[in-house]
Amino acid sequence: MNKRILEMIGGRLAVAILSLFLVSLAVFFITELLPGDTAQELLGQAVTTEAASQLRETLGLDRPAILRYFEWIFGLLTGDLGYSHVSDRPVASLVAERLPNSLTLAAVTMAITIPLALSLGIFAAIWKGSIFDRAISSVAIMLVSFPEFMIATLLVMWLSVYLQWLPALSFIPTTADLHTVVLAYIMPVSVLVFGSCSQMIRLSRAAIADAMVTPYVEMAMLKGASRSRMVLGHALPNSVAPIVNSVALSMSGLLGGVIIVETVFNYPGLAKLMVDGVSTRDMPLIQTCSMIFCGFYLVLITAADIIAILSNPRLR
Amino acid sequence: MTHQFDKSRFSRNDDSAVENAIRRGATRRDLLRMLAAGGVVAATAGMFAGSARNAVAQTPKRGGALRVALNSTSTADTLDPVRASAQGDYMRMSTFYNKLTVLDNSFTPQMELAESFDTTDAKVWTIKLKTGVTFHNGKTMDSADVVYSLSRHVDPKLTSRANALAKAMTKIEAVDKSTVRIELDQPNADLPAILGTYHFVIIPDGTTEFTKAVGTGPYITEVFEPGIRTVGKRNPNYFKSDAAFVDSIEMFGIPDENARLNALLSGDIHIGASMDARSAPLVKANPNLRLMVAPGGSYTNLNIRMDMEPGSKKDFIDGVRALINRDAINRAVLRGFGEPHNDQPIQRASRYFNAEVVPPAFDPERAKHHFEKAGLLGVGIPLVCSEAAKASPDMAMVLQQDAAKIGVTIDVQRMPADGYWSNQWIKAPFHFGNINARPTADILFSLLYKSDAAWNESRYVNPKFDQMLLEARGSLDEAQRKQIYGEMQAMVAKDAATIIPAYIASADAMSTKVGGLNPHPLGMLQGYNIADTVWLDA
Amino acid sequence: MTVSTAPRRKIRFQIRPIAAVCLLVVLFWIVVALFAPLLVHYPAGDMVSYDYFGPMSKEYWLGTDYLGRDIYSRLIVGTRYTIGIAFVGLILAALIGITLGLLAAAFGGVFDTILSRAIDTFVGIPNLLLALVIVAGGGSSIPILIGAITVIFFPGCYRFTRSMAVNVNALDFISAARARGEGHFYIMIHEILPNIAGPIMADLGLRFVHIILLLSGLSFLGLGVQPPNADWGALVRENMIGISYGSPAVVVPSLALASLALAINLLIDNLPQRVRDQLE
Repeated sequence: MNKRILEMIGGRLAVAILSLFLVSLAVFFITELLPGDTAQELLGQAVTTEAASQLRETLGLDRPAILRYFEWIFGLLTGDLGYSHVSDRPVASLVAERLPNSLTLAAVTMAITIPLALSLGIFAAIWKGSIFDRAISSVAIMLVSFPEFMIATLLVMWLSVYLQWLPALSFIPTTADLHTVVLAYIMPVSVLVFGSCSQMIRLSRAAIADAMVTPYVEMAMLKGASRSRMVLGHALPNSVAPIVNSVALSMSGLLGGVIIVETVFNYPGLAKLMVDGVSTRDMPLIQTCSMIFCGFYLVLITAADIIAILSNPRLR
Repeated sequence: MTHQFDKSRFSRNDDSAVENAIRRGATRRDLLRMLAAGGVVAATAGMFAGSARNAVAQTPKRGGALRVALNSTSTADTLDPVRASAQGDYMRMSTFYNKLTVLDNSFTPQMELAESFDTTDAKVWTIKLKTGVTFHNGKTMDSADVVYSLSRHVDPKLTSRANALAKAMTKIEAVDKSTVRIELDQPNADLPAILGTYHFVIIPDGTTEFTKAVGTGPYITEVFEPGIRTVGKRNPNYFKSDAAFVDSIEMFGIPDENARLNALLSGDIHIGASMDARSAPLVKANPNLRLMVAPGGSYTNLNIRMDMEPGSKKDFIDGVRALINRDAINRAVLRGFGEPHNDQPIQRASRYFNAEVVPPAFDPERAKHHFEKAGLLGVGIPLVCSEAAKASPDMAMVLQQDAAKIGVTIDVQRMPADGYWSNQWIKAPFHFGNINARPTADILFSLLYKSDAAWNESRYVNPKFDQMLLEARGSLDEAQRKQIYGEMQAMVAKDAATIIPAYIASADAMSTKVGGLNPHPLGMLQGYNIADTVWLDA
Repeated sequence: MTVSTAPRRKIRFQIRPIAAVCLLVVLFWIVVALFAPLLVHYPAGDMVSYDYFGPMSKEYWLGTDYLGRDIYSRLIVGTRYTIGIAFVGLILAALIGITLGLLAAAFGGVFDTILSRAIDTFVGIPNLLLALVIVAGGGSSIPILIGAITVIFFPGCYRFTRSMAVNVNALDFISAARARGEGHFYIMIHEILPNIAGPIMADLGLRFVHIILLLSGLSFLGLGVQPPNADWGALVRENMIGISYGSPAVVVPSLALASLALAINLLIDNLPQRVRDQLE
C-alpha cells in the first residue's frame, strides 16, 4: 500500500470524526428545541409548577444547555452515557438490553441479503433482457411498492394466525431454546430481506450494466468474449465502489430504520427505544441513540469509501 | 354484527357457539338471553362475563409459565412505587409487592399486610400489622418498613404520583414493631381504602434502588427491562398459602391492538389486556379463547357549564338530558362494552351505589319542549368533543342526529387530542370529558363535585353538598355513609350538569386455560392485580 | 453514473403499453385527489351506519369501516391527504435540494465541500426514525408532516442533482459558455438544468413513491394524519382488524396504496432508454 492511499484513508477517517462531532452538536441542540420537557412529561396529569421545578432541579435540567452539552460530550468520551431521566437507570444499561437484539437482526438480515441480492443482481446483469432478468426486476419493483407494514401484517395473518406455523411475536421468552429462536426470527428477517434485497438487486444490476458500456468491454465483446466472462472478469471488479456503497447504505438503515418490524413483531430493538425517548423527552437517551445510529452510518460509509479506494485499480 | 362476519372463516353457526358457551360455563339464563337476542353472533360482550365467574369455581392448578401482553409499555416503566403511573406499573406493584389492604369487587378494603385498622375519630389511626411476613431478601416486614414506604409518598422531593392522596397523612410513626400510627389533617374514614390503592405498597426501610423489586409479594423479580419485559418467578415463602399458582409470570406491552390479537390467536400469549369491542367477535368465535369484561374502568361524560350560556338556562340542561339516547350510545358507540349509567360518578359495583337514582328516559318530544322554552330551536349550539375523551366524537354524533330530528342544531366541533385536557375540557360551555374509575366515593366527589374542586366540570356549587361530603368522610358508621352518599348521588344526578350516559367497560381476552380471574370495577385485569389468583390449566 | 450527452437533444417518447397503463393509474389518482369534494357521498368523518365493517352495497359502495363510516368517501378524502402531503413535501424538498445541488456544482470548491458534508449529517439518521422524531417532537399536524418530508428528502435531491450537475459541468459546452463570459446563475439555469431535467424528474418520481410509503408507515405507527381525517396508511391501520372479517375497509386502501406506488415505479422503469441510462 502506498502513501497516497494511506493519506486518502486518513482523510476519510478525519472527515468521519468531524461529522460525528457536528452530529452531536446538531442532535443536542435540536432535542433542546423540542417543546415540552421531561419534568412535564413525567408528571402527566399530576403536574404542578412546584412539582415540575422540583423535578427539573433533581434532574439537573435547570442548568444552561451549553454546560450540559459539554458534560455530556465529556461523559461520552470517557464511556459514561449518563442517566436516563425517565427510567432513572444508566442509559448504557437500557442500550445494552437492546443493542444485541438490533445487531442480531441486522446481521442475520445482511447475511442473507448480501449474497442473495448480489447473485440475483449479477445474474440479471449477465442475462440482461432475458425472462429471468425481467422476472427479477418485476418482483423487486413489486416488493418496493408495498408498504413494509402490509407485508409484515399479511405474513402474520397467514403464517401465525391461519397456519399457526410461526409465532406472531419475535419476542422470545427468556427460556427459549434454539428452535424457538429460529422460528421467531423467520418472519421479521424475511420482511427486512424483501425490503433491502430489492434495492440492492436493482443497484448492483445497474452498476454492472453501467460498467459494461465502456469502450474496453465493447471491444472485447466484439472480439468474441462471452458476456458472462466480461461481467464477472471485468464489469464486476469495476463496479465494486457503487455496490459496496449501496450495501453500506442499506445496512445502516437496518439498525434504526426497522421501527415497523419492531412494532409489528414486538421486537425489543433500538429504534423503539429512541421513539420512546422522544415521546418522553428523555434527552440522554435520544442523544445516545442518535449517536449510535449516526456512528454506525459513518463507520459503514467510511468503510465503503475505503474499500472503494482500495479496489480502484488506478490507485493500486 | 355484520353480514360479512358470518361468511368469514372465524364464523361459527349459532348452534356450535351456544355449545361452546355451555362448555365455557354460561348459565341457562345467559343462553336464553343469547337466543332471545337473535343468536350468539349478535350477543353483546357483557354476557360472557358469566364464564369468567364460573372459572373461579374450579380448583386452581399449580405451575406453568404465564405470558401476559398489556396495551402499553415504555422506558418509563418502573418498580418504584412513587413513580408508578402506567397500567403496567400497577401490574408490577401487585405482582412483586403487597399493600396494607386490597380493594375487593365492591371497593371494600380487605386486610392484606395489615391485621386491623382502628380509630375512634377517623383522624388518628392505629394499624396492626401481620407478623412473620418476609421480604424477598429474607428480612421480616415490620412497622419501620411501613412508615418508610408511606412517608415516601408524602415527601415532596420524591414527587410521588400519589402525593395528593398521601399528603393528608400529617404524621406517620411506629408505635412498636408491629403497630403504626397515622394522623390525618382531618377525619377520613376511607383511609383503609386509600391505602389499598396502587401506589401504597410496602418496601423495606431505606430502599432507594429499584432495578429489582424487593417486596413481600407473590412473585420475585427475575427480569426487569423497562419498555421490554418484566418476569417474576413464584415466591416460595409467600405469606398467603392459597395464592400465587403459576411458576412464573412474564409481562410485556404490545401497544398495537391488532398485533396483540394476533399474538393471542396464534397462542403466543395467554392474556391480552384491554381489547377493543371490534376484536370481541373474533375472540368469542375462537373456542380456545374467552373474554373477561369488567364493567368499570372509566366513563365519558357530557358536561354543561352552568355558569355560561346556554347552560345557565335550566331548560337547556333538561332538554339535553331528555335527548341523550343512552341505549343507542351503548349499542352503537360502545358496542355492548358499556353499561348505561345515571348521571352520577359512583359505579354500580360500589357498595354505596344508589339504585334508586334513575336517569331520565329518552324522550325527544319532551326535549323539544325544553329547547323551545329555552328559545334554542334552530340555533346552532356548539359541542366540543375529541378522541382524547374516549368515544366522545361518536357520542356527539348520536346526539347530533337525534337533535336534528326535533329541529335542534348541534354544531359538533372535533378538537385534536393534543392539548384537549388543558384547552377545552372544563373550559368549553358544552363539552365531553373522560374520568377514570376511582376507588372511593369520597375521591370522586371531592375531585369532581365539591364547590371549589379544580375539576368541577359543570361548576356545580352547593354548600350543603360540600358539608355532606365532609360528614360522610369523617363518619365511621357504614349505614350512615351509605345513606349520605346515596343522597349525594341523587343531588348530582339531578342538579349537576354532568351527564354520564354510560360507564365504559374494559375487556381482557385470554386463553381458556387461564383461570382464577374475575372482572373488577377498577378496570382491566382484575383491577391490575392478577398475581395472587391467576392459574394455568396446562 | 456516466453521462454522455450533447446539449438539448430532443427526447423522443416511445410510450410502451405498460407505461401507458401506469400513466393512466397515476392520472386517475391525481384526478380523484383534485376533485375529491365533488366525489364524496358522505362527510368523511361521519358515522353513517350502525354496521361496522359492513359489506359493499348500493348505499356504501366500498362498505363501512370500523366505526360504520363510508369507506368510499374516506378513501377519496384520503387520496387527497396522501397525494397532497406527499406532493407538497416533494416540491419543497426538490426546490431546496435542486437549488443547492446546482449551486454546489456551479461554484464547486470549498462551498461544495462544506455544503455536502453538512447535508451528509442528515443522512445518518434513518428516514423513518427522523420523521418520527420530528413528528413526535412537534406534534402531528399537516404542516409538520410536510416539514418532516422536506427535511428528510431534500438531502437526496441535493446529492442526485449535484452529481448529475457535476458531470454535465465538466462537458465542453459548459466550458464554452464560461469562455463566453456567462455568469454562474446563467449557466445553472440555462445550460445545466435543461440537460439534467429528465433524470431529475424520474428521480423525483421514485422519491414520491418513497414519500408515500414513508407517510403510510408514519400513519401505521399512529403519527400520520390524525383522526377523524385519514390518509391511506391511516385507513389501513384503523381498519386492520377488518382483515379477519374480510372487510373491504382494509383491502381497498391497501390496494390504492400499492396501485399508485407500483404504477409510478413501473412508469419510471419503462421510461425512454436515454433517461433511464442517466438515472442509473
